[in-house]
Amino acid sequence: MTLPKRLLLAGTALAAAGLAAAPAAAQSKPEPIQIGLIAPVSGIYARPGTVMRMGAEMGVEDVNKAGGIACLGNAPLELAVVDSGDSVEKATNAAQRMVADYPKLVGATGAYLSSFTLAVSEVTERANLPLLTLSYSDLITGRGFKNIFQTSATSGAQAEIALPIILDLAEKQTGKRPQTVAVITDNTAASLSSVKRMKDGLLADVGLKLVSEEVFTPPLTDATSLVQQIRRGRPDLLFFLPTVISDSKLILEKMQEFRLRVPTVSFGIAIAEPEVLNTVDPKLLEGVMSAVANWGAKGQEELIQRLKDRYGEPWMTQNAISTYGDMWVFKAALEKSCSRDRAALGKALRSLDGGEAKFYPGGTIAFDEAGHRKGASLTIIQWQNGVPVTVFPEALALSQAKWPTP
Amino acid sequence: MVRSLAPFFAFAAAYLAAALFVTNSYYQLIMTLVLVWACFGLSWNMLSGYTGLVSFGHAAFFGLGAFATVLAQVYWGVSPWIMLAVSALLGALAGVLIGLPTFRLRGHYFALSMLAYPLAMLYVFQWLGYPEVTVPRVFDRPWLYMQFDDGRVYTVIALAMLAAVVAISRRVERTRFGMALIAIKQNEAAAEAAGIDTFAWKLRAIALSGAIAGAVGSFYAVVILVITPQSVFGMLVSAQALTVTMFGGTGTVWGPIIGAAFLIPIAEVLHAELGSYLPGIQGVVYGLAIIGLIVLAPEGMYWKARDFLRARRSAEAPAAEAAAAAPPASPAAARTISDEVVLDVRNVSKRFGGLKAVGRVSFQVRRGMILGIIGPNGAGKTTLFNLLNGFLAPDTGEVVFRGENLVGQKPNRVCRAGIGRTFQIMRPFKRMSVHDNVKVGAYVRAASEAEAEALATHAVAAVGLDAIAQRPAGGLTTKELRLLELARALAGQPELLLLDETLAGLGSQEAAEVVGVIRRLAGEGVTVVIIEHTMQAMVQLVDRFLVLDHGEVIMEGAPQAVTRDSRVIEAYLGKKWVANA
Repeated sequence: MTLPKRLLLAGTALAAAGLAAAPAAAQSKPEPIQIGLIAPVSGIYARPGTVMRMGAEMGVEDVNKAGGIACLGNAPLELAVVDSGDSVEKATNAAQRMVADYPKLVGATGAYLSSFTLAVSEVTERANLPLLTLSYSDLITGRGFKNIFQTSATSGAQAEIALPIILDLAEKQTGKRPQTVAVITDNTAASLSSVKRMKDGLLADVGLKLVSEEVFTPPLTDATSLVQQIRRGRPDLLFFLPTVISDSKLILEKMQEFRLRVPTVSFGIAIAEPEVLNTVDPKLLEGVMSAVANWGAKGQEELIQRLKDRYGEPWMTQNAISTYGDMWVFKAALEKSCSRDRAALGKALRSLDGGEAKFYPGGTIAFDEAGHRKGASLTIIQWQNGVPVTVFPEALALSQAKWPTP
Repeated sequence: MVRSLAPFFAFAAAYLAAALFVTNSYYQLIMTLVLVWACFGLSWNMLSGYTGLVSFGHAAFFGLGAFATVLAQVYWGVSPWIMLAVSALLGALAGVLIGLPTFRLRGHYFALSMLAYPLAMLYVFQWLGYPEVTVPRVFDRPWLYMQFDDGRVYTVIALAMLAAVVAISRRVERTRFGMALIAIKQNEAAAEAAGIDTFAWKLRAIALSGAIAGAVGSFYAVVILVITPQSVFGMLVSAQALTVTMFGGTGTVWGPIIGAAFLIPIAEVLHAELGSYLPGIQGVVYGLAIIGLIVLAPEGMYWKARDFLRARRSAEAPAAEAAAAAPPASPAAARTISDEVVLDVRNVSKRFGGLKAVGRVSFQVRRGMILGIIGPNGAGKTTLFNLLNGFLAPDTGEVVFRGENLVGQKPNRVCRAGIGRTFQIMRPFKRMSVHDNVKVGAYVRAASEAEAEALATHAVAAVGLDAIAQRPAGGLTTKELRLLELARALAGQPELLLLDETLAGLGSQEAAEVVGVIRRLAGEGVTVVIIEHTMQAMVQLVDRFLVLDHGEVIMEGAPQAVTRDSRVIEAYLGKKWVANA
C-alpha cells in the first residue's frame, strides 16, 4: 500500500469515527461499561442463576442511579448475561463464548456452582478478565490465579466458623453437646471442600465423631439407601450438603418417611431457595439450619423489599445479595482504575481498599494475594415459620436461633 | 498412497486457510473441535466402520487419554506432548484388555457390553475423587506444555493429527489389515473360512482404534482445559463418535470428516445463537437434523453423494457394461483322478443335545476328484462341512487332510492348511469391486500386496468374471455372486474346495455354466467336494456321490448307481416311490 493511500484511508477512518462520535457527544452519553454475568439460566440450576441476574440488574441500576463511574465521565454499567448451562462442559464452552463474543467486557461475575466457577475461571484467567465469584470452594482461590476474586468465605473457612457456633447453640439450648455426626454430601466442588475440611481435623477439634459419610452425584433418583445409612449410624447431628433442590427434597422426604428425626444442619443454600416451597412442605423444613456464605440481613430491608416487589421473590438469597454487591465492588474498582481496560481493573481489584463490607458478611472490600476477600465470614440461616431467616451473626440477625428439637 | 491422500491435503489446505482468518477465539475453538471429533470418528470407524462391530463405548479410550494427560501434568508435571504418545499406548492397551473378553460376544451383545466400559470408568474416576480436573496453567515457556495464546496453533496441531489418522486409515484400508476387517464385516464365518484369523485382526483393530481415541482424548483435554468424568467418559462422547461417522458415512475416511464438519459447527452455533433464548432448543434442532438425514441417507452423506454421482455418470454412458461376461464355455478337460487320498474322514460324529446331526461318517477324497454330497434337507450336509473346516468340533472321529489331523483347528488354520470353502448364503461386500472381494481370499497365501493382487486377478479370470472385475459386487446376479464366492475361495489356492450349495437358486442354463467352471477348475487339479440337494445338475458334475440321510451315510458310489439305488429314492421321495423306480 502506498503512503498517500494509507493516509487517505486513515483520514476516512478518522472522519468516520468523528461522525460516529458526534451524536454521542451531543447527548453527552459515554459508552456503557460492560460487566458480564455468567450463570446458569437454563437447566437444573436455572433458578439460582436467574436470581443472580435479578441481583445484578438491581446492582447495575443502583450504581447507575448513583451516577455510574464518575471517573469515566459517569459512564453507566451495562450487564451482559451469558448462560453457563447446567454442566461443567457447558460452562467452559460458555466462558469461551463470553470472552470471544464480548471483547469489551472489563470484568464478570459468576458462575453460581463452584464446579462451574472453577471451569469458567480457567478461561477468564487466560483471557485476563477479572472474575468476581460468590462460589466458595477452596480450590477456586487455591490455583495461584491473578484474576479471580472470591467474595464468600471459602468452604473450609465457613465450616471452621460455623461448627463451633452450632455446637454452642445446641449445648446452650438443650444442655447437651452433640457427640456424633453423619454427613450426606453431593460431589460438587464446594460440598466436597467443606467435607474435606471437616474430616481434616475440624470435626476432631470440635469433638465430633463422624459415624457415616454418604457421597452422591446429583441429580439423585432415590434416597432410600442414603437415609438408611444415616438411620443405622444414630447420629446426634446431621450435616447435609446438597446443591440441587430436588436432591434436598428427596432426602428430606425420605427422612420423614423413615421417621428419622435428627437435628439437621445444611451447608449451602439449596435447602433455602424459594423454589423449595414449590415442592417441599415448609413443616418438613421447620428448624433446619444452614450455613451459607451470604443472605439478606439486617440493614438490607429496603433492598429485600424491592426484590420482593419487583420480582416476586419471597426472600433474598445469597445469589441475589452477593451479585448485587458485586456491582458495587466493580464500581469501586473502576473508580480506582479509571480505565476501560480489564487488566487495569484486575490491578485495581487486587489493591482495592473499599472499607467495611456492606453486602457481604464480615470483613472489608479488599482481597488478598490469592483473591480471598479479607475477613470474609458467613451467615447462618434457619427455617422459622416457613421462611429462612438470618440468625447469625447477631449484628445481622433478623431473628433468634432455636435449636431444632425433633 | 500419496495420490489417494491428495483430496485430503486439498481439504487440509483450505481448512487451514480458513482457520487463519478466524479471529473470534470461540469460533477458533470450534474449528479445532471439528478436527478433534473427526479424528475421534475415524478412531471409531477403524473398529466399527470397517468390522461392523458397533462400539457404544469409545469414550473409554478417549476418557483414559484425557484423564491420563491432565493428571500426569498435575501430579508429575509431565508435558501433554509426551502424554499424547503415552495416551495412545494406554488406549491401545485398554483396547486389547477390553477386546479380549468382549470379542467373544457378537452383534447387539457386543455393542451393549462396550457401553459398560466407559460408564464403569466414569464412576471409578468420580469415586477416585476427580469430579473435575483442570489443566494447570504454565507460565514459563508454556509451549513446552502445549499451551498457546493463539488458538490457531491448536487448529494446526489438530490438523496434523487428523492428517496422521487419515494416512493410517488409508493405509489400513489398502492393505490386508483393512481387507481382513471388511471381510469380517461382510461375514465373519466366511472370513474365518477364507483363512483370516478374525480374532487377531479384531484385536489389532481395537488396539489401533483405542490408540487413536486415547491420543485424541489427550489433545481434547489440553484444548478444553477442564474435564469431568461426564465430559470424557459420558454417553454423549461415545455417541459423538457414532453420530459424526454415521452422518458422514461409515467405512470411509471421509465419513467422520464430513460428519464433524457439518454437525459440530451446527450444534455450536445453535447453542450459541438460540441457547440463550430457548435453552435446550439446540438439542431439539440437532436431533431433528440427524433424524432427517438418517431417513434420507441412511448410510451417510458420503455414500449418498457417491451413489448419486455414479448414477448420473452411468446414466450418461448407458449399458456400457451390459454384456456381462459369460464364463468361457470351454469343454471340460479330461481329468485324471490320482490314487492319492487328500482327505480322509474317519468315523466323524456330532450331536446337538438329543439330535444326532452327523453319525459315524467316513469317506475318502482322492486328488483331482469331484465328490458330491447329497441328501434331503436336514440330512446333515452343512453340519458335515462345518466339521470338516473347523466351525464345529466333532464329538468323535478324525479329519485327516494330507496326513494331518485337523480336528480342533480353527477355520482360519484349516484354510491355511489348504481347504477353501464357499457358503450357501452369499454375503459379498457390496461396495467393493469383484476384484477386491476376491482379493480378501488371497491374503491367506500372499506374502505381499502385489502377490495378493496377482492371485486375485488369476482367480477372477479362472471363474470367468474378469470382464466385470471392477464392478461393485452390489449389482451382481446370483450366478455372478456364486462365481465370486468361488473365486474368493480359489484365490487362497486351496487344494481342496468345499462348495456349499453352489448351484442353489440358479436356472438350468446358469447352473450348467457354473458346472462348467467347476469342472474346469477340477481339470486344473483342484479337488472338489460339493453339497447339493438337487440331483440333476450334480449327475453331470461329480465323479462320485456320497448320500446322507439323518446324519448317516446311506450310500456311496458312482452317479448312475446312486440314482438307481432304492435307499436313495426312499430318502428323497418316500417309500411308495421305491416300487415305481
